[in-house]
Amino acid sequence: MVAVEGMERERRREVVARLGWIIGAAVLLLVVTVQPFADANVWWHLALGRLITSHGIPAQEPFSYLPAAHPWVGQQWLLDVPLAGIVGAGGAGLASAVLGVVAACGFLLAALAIPRVSHETGPWLAFAMVLSGVVASRLIGVNAEAVSLFAVAAVLYVLARWREGRAGAVWILPPLFLVWANVDTLFAVGLLIVASTLLVASVSRSDGAASRGHLAAALAASVLLTLVNPYGPGLYASVITTAADPAIAQLTASWASPDFHTWWLRLFEAEGVLLVVLWATSGGPAPIDAVLGIAALVAALWSEAYVALFAIIALPQIALYGTRAWRLQVAPRVSSRFRVSPARARLLLVGGLIAVGAAAVVAGARQVTPAAAASYEASHYPMAAADYVAAHYPDQRLYSTDTWGGYLAYRFPTGRVVLVYDQGSTFGDAAAQSYTKIHLLQNGWEKVLRDDGIAHAIVLDTSQEASALHELGWVVACHDSVSRSVVMSAPPPGTTPAAAGPLTAPPAGSPAC
Amino acid sequence: MVLSLLPVTSIIHDPDFWWHLRAGQLILAHGGLLATDPFTYTVASHHWTMHEWLSEVLYAALQSRGGLGLIVLVLSIVTWLGLLCLLLRAVLRRPNAFALGLGLLLAAVAGYPIWGPRVQMITFFLSALTLLAVERHLLRGGRAIWLLVPLFVLWSNLHSGFIIGLGFIALILIAEVSGGWLRWRDGAPSGRVRTLFYVLLACTAVSMINPNGPAILAYAFLTQGSGAQQTLILEWHSPDFHDWVVLPFGILLITLIALIAVNRRLRARDAALVAVTAALSMQSVRHIAIFVAATTPVWIDQTSMLLQKMRTRSAARRPQRPSLQFRVFTFSVLMGALVIVYASIRLLPAMRVVPNSLAYAREYPVCAARWLAQAPEPLKIFNQYGEGGYLADALSSRGDKVYIFGDAALMGDPLLYTYAGVTSVQPGWDSTIRESGTDIVLFDTATPLANVMEASTRWVKVYEDPLSVAFVPSNRVRDVKLPPVPASYPRGDPCAQLRSTAVDTTAQNQ
Repeated sequence: MVAVEGMERERRREVVARLGWIIGAAVLLLVVTVQPFADANVWWHLALGRLITSHGIPAQEPFSYLPAAHPWVGQQWLLDVPLAGIVGAGGAGLASAVLGVVAACGFLLAALAIPRVSHETGPWLAFAMVLSGVVASRLIGVNAEAVSLFAVAAVLYVLARWREGRAGAVWILPPLFLVWANVDTLFAVGLLIVASTLLVASVSRSDGAASRGHLAAALAASVLLTLVNPYGPGLYASVITTAADPAIAQLTASWASPDFHTWWLRLFEAEGVLLVVLWATSGGPAPIDAVLGIAALVAALWSEAYVALFAIIALPQIALYGTRAWRLQVAPRVSSRFRVSPARARLLLVGGLIAVGAAAVVAGARQVTPAAAASYEASHYPMAAADYVAAHYPDQRLYSTDTWGGYLAYRFPTGRVVLVYDQGSTFGDAAAQSYTKIHLLQNGWEKVLRDDGIAHAIVLDTSQEASALHELGWVVACHDSVSRSVVMSAPPPGTTPAAAGPLTAPPAGSPAC
Repeated sequence: MVLSLLPVTSIIHDPDFWWHLRAGQLILAHGGLLATDPFTYTVASHHWTMHEWLSEVLYAALQSRGGLGLIVLVLSIVTWLGLLCLLLRAVLRRPNAFALGLGLLLAAVAGYPIWGPRVQMITFFLSALTLLAVERHLLRGGRAIWLLVPLFVLWSNLHSGFIIGLGFIALILIAEVSGGWLRWRDGAPSGRVRTLFYVLLACTAVSMINPNGPAILAYAFLTQGSGAQQTLILEWHSPDFHDWVVLPFGILLITLIALIAVNRRLRARDAALVAVTAALSMQSVRHIAIFVAATTPVWIDQTSMLLQKMRTRSAARRPQRPSLQFRVFTFSVLMGALVIVYASIRLLPAMRVVPNSLAYAREYPVCAARWLAQAPEPLKIFNQYGEGGYLADALSSRGDKVYIFGDAALMGDPLLYTYAGVTSVQPGWDSTIRESGTDIVLFDTATPLANVMEASTRWVKVYEDPLSVAFVPSNRVRDVKLPPVPASYPRGDPCAQLRSTAVDTTAQNQ
């Protein structure tokens, strides 16, 4: 009796310690998940959220002067509207905090997506959370990816419970997919994860037929509920267009394969290698883990945009197989001298949690103040340049890069003055080619400017567009030294541009915006 | 192995080939290495570490005896020998024949972006040979491993890639020692590991026997540590999996991961080789060849293990085989036919291509170089990075100098960054070109620089063909002495063919 009570007490201590590690890691992750408006797309989503609030979901693309090649699908409307509300209520800082907490909760949920009988250790869970959090941090922020990351974690959590025999847990999936389908296209990946799990379970007959039936029914209900969105089945066509459209790959850098010269992608690579090593040294992965891990790795190698997906899928696996590999390969060879006593471990854990929590709160709070948000906007986006354009060239077409196009859509939500922003699937190939002709100075770039009636531009002062426009006789109207942008204007029609010397950066003698 | 001949042979696509060839000719002419850069007007004072001097001499010697065709033949054989080493290393583990054939074919296709007549093929071959020798030693022992010592003397004079060979041996040693500590399965006997350590020391010592002395060891790390090279040179970029030629490499990598996950059995040295070379190949496309050299036998071994598992699970049914005579006859006919097909569609066409041909005129500024060669005085040419080698080969004997060419370490990071600023037309591009003392800018058509110069009033277009366009500063048009632009070329001339193909393409597009 005493022995049983002792074991129960020990088990409870283990659970509490594990929770401590997980919560500590989640709080620490706030440092990387609470981010300013680093993702430039947040601006046009914000503008769209405001537009939807006042006028409903627009039937056509609302910001650009380009003709839309494909129907407008404002798929993220259910994120855009609350986002506009949050920013309206508490400013950009509140939006950063809310989405940061959502992402951190996603990592926490993914850490719990492990069979409860596996007895994985707290340090491995915390390590996997921090590693995956840092790997995913460049792709999440104030954007739909943060919500999708949470949703993928929720799917993994539900499937883990289902694999334990709790078949009823799968009925969380249909309402989850109903919301998710109105927030981000990545809901399709969630459906694929559930379908793969069902397929692998059916092939390996690892779970009971009744249990598989539950999952199949929940999957079917989820698919049906994803059709409840403003575009109905057309949403799936939009998802396929987005995934297969070459214009997207052309316009969006994150759709390219990862560039492993950057440190955070090196970290992704390290996480991939670690996962394979842990698979091999822990006695091998469960079939569904291998399938999901390899599929996520392939997706991430194909396109950098899926690195966060890989990170969240790898998280529970690293914790699970890391623990097993440690117990099999390393623990028997580590001297007992290096083992820390439970009392001391608890003390260290509590102390560490307090320190980590305080540091994370201080670091996060600094990001979300109104002053920090305003300073970030002024230094990373052409705020002063846009002010100048609003005052001097109202309702006139602007050239800018697609990255800044989203910000300009936010600054000029009416009048259709923006060229392109991150909505390649709507604009189509022809528009993408027109834009890249100017952006990459390809043959006929001047003609595109003339034909589209573009007479003003907001570009980086060191950009090739600034040099090229200068050669056409465009003049620098003003220079925004904070964001290092320039407003340039074409010579009036019918006038011969005065011969000018080469452009310098920053432009000599230009007025400040 | 016969099928793998097909992807390893091609005409010369490596833009660096041309300056290597010219450097080899200069070494033979001067009877020694060159101390400084003879080709550029920008970094002429830079000390030139000629780490590939022996390969360059080999290029020049082969070219003088059999033209470019002989170089194509020799380097195709060298690459194929590398694949042969992979086969021999895989055979040491008694693999399944099907896995062996499939693995070699996949390796030959995976390396396709890298194969071709280039110095790196020597490193590929010698890396594969080193790994073969090490694996043989760890499995069987013996003294043959000491043959690596003279091999490294040769290698360190052929290419700075010998550091990869030293790295492989060191990595295997670390893996074996760590594997022993972790009691990993299939480790090598400690005596053989110890011998390998002594071999590594000897190889490191003898690799310093070259004209650059011990400095060659540090030089080999220069490119790996150069931010400019990693950022600006295409071959140093990470693989783009949207490009179909990289997909076989992706398949090799992903299937290897899947096989390891399924088999759950991997030697420590194999794990280390896979992890390190996968990381290197993710960093740069050019390292795919190293990945292929290191991991193909591992892939074959893992596939064999999987097939073995599947065979033991299913009922062993041996199909009835035809007679030995029939099999030998069929095999010989098939192999003979493949060799004939290879020689007729790949080898001979690649060997027959001469420098002044349409095939090269499409890739290199052949016609523009011919035009510039008529100039009355030597010129300083601002050129495209990848074309500097060709221009150096074609024009340096006249005294013409280029702005930049493909020895990135010799050029140095500052020049590479300056050049990148000009080609991406950043503000200040114009002054950079003028202040360097450039007489003429020769660049590819339809590039940002060419298009902006065309729009500029400060530059005048003086030459254009379907590949290249040339500009001089408008205030120096009278000073720079240029030859007349040929109005037409004789029928059959590669430049005439280039013009006509460009006209045809334009008409089709319209």
